[in-house]
Amino acid sequence: MFEDDETLQMYIEESLDHLGDIESDLLTIEEGGADIDVDLVNNVFRAAHSIKGGAGFMGLTTIKDLAHHLENVLGLVRTKEMIPDSHKISVLLKGFDELENLLNNIQESNDVDVSDHVEALEGLISPSASEEQLEEASEIISERVDIIIKDGRVFANTPVSAIEKMKSEGKNLFLVEYDVPQDSKTEDKIPADILENLKKTGAIIESRVAAQSEGRIQFQLLYASIIEDDMAETLFNIDKKYIHSISDDMIVTTSVADVNAEPAAMPCLEKQDVSPVTAPKQAAVAAEPVKVKPVKTKPKAKKATSKKAAVSTTKPQTSLRVNVGLLDTLMNLAGELVLSRNQLLQGINSSNTKAAELSSQRIDMITSELQEAIMRTRMQPIGNILNKFTRVVRDLSQQLGKTIDLVIEGKDVELDKTILESINDPLTHLVRNSVDHGIEIPEIREQTGKEPTGKIVLKAYHDAGQVNIVIIDDGKGLDPDKMAVAAVEKGLLTEQQVDEMTDKQKTELIMLPGFSTAKEVTDVSGRGVGMDVVTTNIETLGGIIDLDSKPGEGTTIQIKLPLTLAIIPSQITSVGSERYAVPQVNLNELLRIPASKIKEKIEKVGDADVVRLRGELLPLLDLSKMLGIERTYNDPEKEEVCSDRRENIADRRSRQHHINEDGLIVETSGEEKKPQEREEKDRRYHAQSAMNIAVVSAGVFKYGLVVDQLYDSEEIVVKPVGRHLAKCKAYAGATIMGDGKVALILDISNLAQMAELSAVAEAGQTVKEAEEAKEAAKDRAALLTFKNGETEHFAAPLNIVERIERIKTSSIEQLGDRKVVQYRGGALPLYELSQVADFTELPEREQQEVIVFKIKDRELGLMVTPPVDALEVTLDVDEDTLKQSAISGSMIINEHTTLLVDIFEMVKILNPDWFKEEAKVAQKMAKSGKKTLLFAEDSAFFRNQVKTFMEDDGFTVLEAEDGRIAWELLKERVDNIDLVVTDLEMPNMDGFELTQKIKADPKYSHLDVIALTSLASEAHIEKGKKVGIDEYEIKLDRERLMKVIRKYLNLSK
Amino acid sequence: MAETATTISSSDLEFATFYVGGALCGINILNIQEINKHFDITQVPQSSGYVKGILNLRGRIVTIIDLGKKLGLEPINKNQNNRNIIVNSEDEHIGLLVDSISDVAIAKKEDIEPAPSNIGGVKGKYFQGVLKTETQLIGILDIDEVLKE
Repeated sequence: MFEDDETLQMYIEESLDHLGDIESDLLTIEEGGADIDVDLVNNVFRAAHSIKGGAGFMGLTTIKDLAHHLENVLGLVRTKEMIPDSHKISVLLKGFDELENLLNNIQESNDVDVSDHVEALEGLISPSASEEQLEEASEIISERVDIIIKDGRVFANTPVSAIEKMKSEGKNLFLVEYDVPQDSKTEDKIPADILENLKKTGAIIESRVAAQSEGRIQFQLLYASIIEDDMAETLFNIDKKYIHSISDDMIVTTSVADVNAEPAAMPCLEKQDVSPVTAPKQAAVAAEPVKVKPVKTKPKAKKATSKKAAVSTTKPQTSLRVNVGLLDTLMNLAGELVLSRNQLLQGINSSNTKAAELSSQRIDMITSELQEAIMRTRMQPIGNILNKFTRVVRDLSQQLGKTIDLVIEGKDVELDKTILESINDPLTHLVRNSVDHGIEIPEIREQTGKEPTGKIVLKAYHDAGQVNIVIIDDGKGLDPDKMAVAAVEKGLLTEQQVDEMTDKQKTELIMLPGFSTAKEVTDVSGRGVGMDVVTTNIETLGGIIDLDSKPGEGTTIQIKLPLTLAIIPSQITSVGSERYAVPQVNLNELLRIPASKIKEKIEKVGDADVVRLRGELLPLLDLSKMLGIERTYNDPEKEEVCSDRRENIADRRSRQHHINEDGLIVETSGEEKKPQEREEKDRRYHAQSAMNIAVVSAGVFKYGLVVDQLYDSEEIVVKPVGRHLAKCKAYAGATIMGDGKVALILDISNLAQMAELSAVAEAGQTVKEAEEAKEAAKDRAALLTFKNGETEHFAAPLNIVERIERIKTSSIEQLGDRKVVQYRGGALPLYELSQVADFTELPEREQQEVIVFKIKDRELGLMVTPPVDALEVTLDVDEDTLKQSAISGSMIINEHTTLLVDIFEMVKILNPDWFKEEAKVAQKMAKSGKKTLLFAEDSAFFRNQVKTFMEDDGFTVLEAEDGRIAWELLKERVDNIDLVVTDLEMPNMDGFELTQKIKADPKYSHLDVIALTSLASEAHIEKGKKVGIDEYEIKLDRERLMKVIRKYLNLSK
Repeated sequence: MAETATTISSSDLEFATFYVGGALCGINILNIQEINKHFDITQVPQSSGYVKGILNLRGRIVTIIDLGKKLGLEPINKNQNNRNIIVNSEDEHIGLLVDSISDVAIAKKEDIEPAPSNIGGVKGKYFQGVLKTETQLIGILDIDEVLKE
């Protein structure tokens, strides 16, 4: 046992093969019920039988035992003594499962306890039999039987227990007669040898020596073995007539008288004396241990196990079945190849170009064919894994009380072995999902007018060089709105993001990491593994997963997989002198930024370079820096390298800023010089070098890989790299290029991970970080976004918004050309944007969202279309393009061109008489001389806005772009200035410093300073108080600001 | 070498000898797949310092290791005599870049003496033993130890 590794391996493979088909056979048998398909049962029976047989030879007692019990039950089914029902089939299935387990862990199999299965199987044969058998057994122990051989002789007084035991192990009984003296003379057979030999293949129950009448001594063996009749002759190596196969009817209970008779006196038919001659001693000695053999086998097997385990720690060889026809084709091709090579060599040696050309053409063709043929050897029918789902669906649906039909189509579709193995788990998950969450229980199905039996279709087919696997269920489908709600609840998305999604997009939310809709975790599909894992798995295989669902009608999941992983289409790129292959699966697009545009397009976010691609920030990963040759592997010192770049980026950012504001910044000329200086320093951004970026995606996460050159896309053969490079996670392998040189294949997702420290970690929050990074230089504001009609997007400063209300349209009262609504005991005037500017009128709806503003202590409502959402944005306002009344400018928010509503101006248009006070002040000022305000603000937008407010109210405004300019202006014209209004965050000199200077110098300290800020924080206010800021105001709150200005200038009443 | 003249018996061991810097080393010839001078090596950024790069050896990707660096000596100087010794280790072909190759030395097993703790600046653990010839001392490399990552 276990001696012959190869035989064992063969046995395992063969047995697993047998088991492969059993499952579906059993399920078919179950379906058939009482209508037993004998052929099918025979199939299963034979499988169990051959497994048992082999196990006997190999000494795999546990397997043999289990197989034997399975066989017993199947035997009853075969003879129609037992009707297979689903319980019985379940027991059988479990038994076979265990058998498979044992076979897969063959070395440990003998130590596994299978008594549960054995009991269950015995229970099937006769539910109450086990007890009876026990009782009987105790009686039988001493009982003895006679065996009557066909020719009438009797082999008497054999212990029943031994016979029963052997039979229960599925062994056949033989009575073998050796003519010892004769045989040992002629054929050199010594009884001891014979016994040794026989013990290897079976067990000797009893051996006796009988003197024959002709003076010959006969040596009789009662022998049990799994060997079948027809093999016995070869085994015993004697003539057939001396071998008696013993069947049940030949065993007769010994008469009572005989029991008492001396066992030694065992008359064969011819009443020979049992006078022990030479052999019996030996025989007895030999026979003794045989009886205890079943006990002894275990320790023996164990020893073998441990020894074996020590030896065979090396990986198990996996093997593959290949069609012989295919193998022949390969042989043929190999032959052809050799021939062509010879021709080629001849042609070259004799300088016969024509011959060489011809043979190279041949070699070309043969190689392609060879490649294809070899690829085919790796191909396995997908049925191998699809078939398994019959069982999965059956077991699960039983467990869940559902009835489900599983239809499998396209079992013959072939896929690369490695892919096939890897899609097993994702597919199982999907099918389980369908059964668990998809298909409803029969009652509910009936209520919704569906067939009570659910249907799941598993379909595989070829399409466009890819394999498609479709899983269709006719269950309840996915409810997009529920998905959306769940995603928001889990904080994966904001309500606003969800609002803008289509139903399909919402449905696909299920693939987001951290998303699981199952209300409670079931042990069926809720095992902490979500759809996102499935998606990732499929994507690592280079596949695509697509989900489509109609609520109430079912779900369709489509998986597209490449045929093979060994050859992959790839984009060839180069950095330095080496080429690198980027798998096409990971590649989204190629991007080339001309040298002149690099500075505009590339920005810095946190530590990472980013490029703005269609409104999205794409982190960049510079492959040359990433793989810098002088840097050693795994060196976390990337920070250093990046720190050089940060300077560049900082420059670039201010440049960007500068461009956005259209040259409004004063020191434009100074700014212009800087990039030029940089160009000289920095080769990479030199005007001549355009930037080549491969936009790649690793799972959900996209980034740009900066390379030196982009070449063609090629089909490359993936080759493994040696163990010394196993630690280099940046590579997925290597390939050999057309010129014979090796190129490395990049592992896109690992690269991203490796760069985490410096470059791309912020991927998820790039936008947020981008804004944070810009905060210092740009103005941020909290805005309320809303829509007017379906297509027009608007925003208004959040700080002047009082509330957002939802009112019933029916409660709106029309008074002349005005609309009002009863609101908190008063009437709230309602307006809409179409009243002040050229926008569409709001559509009729049952409910109306109203944004309530408070201006001049009076409230008014603006009717808008939802979604209404508050968000913080960096103001990057285009004041000119879409300028019109009540609109202060436009900017891009969430990919929509959004108009900024100037509420103040809107009110002014609608209610000019609300502004009498300002008009009065302005008049007063006009009489008594205008008051002059010094206003420092770096953002052109705010500068213009606030300046307009001030001038509208009759002030003279001196503008400054930053603190330093304001300081200069103040020094020059201190006598004219009545009040200083300053922004806090400014380049060169900020508002704090400016205030400090003003307050510290007795010449200016009489001036009051009002600070303007977009987002006032406690810390800011604290700091401001310290340096002497008199008042804080929010930038876009025109009314308050002007009020405060008037207060400080003593202009208010 | 004197040994070459004597007949080789089956118990004799053959060693291919080569220079790494000034040190003469040997590898059991049975470990060697081939010796070549392909130097169209693709560099592998971020690999260990001793990895020279990878090479296409008739369709197989072979890692080339700078034996000088690996043994803690100076890196191999690039010159015409450089050779790759392709050895078979753990089912993988690995190339050892050496300065130059020398003769094949034949020795009996018992002639090999245990290695001292240090041979010409190389740690003793890399050697199975040393072989003294009339003129030279050959350090017999323990390939498995040398090729440990």
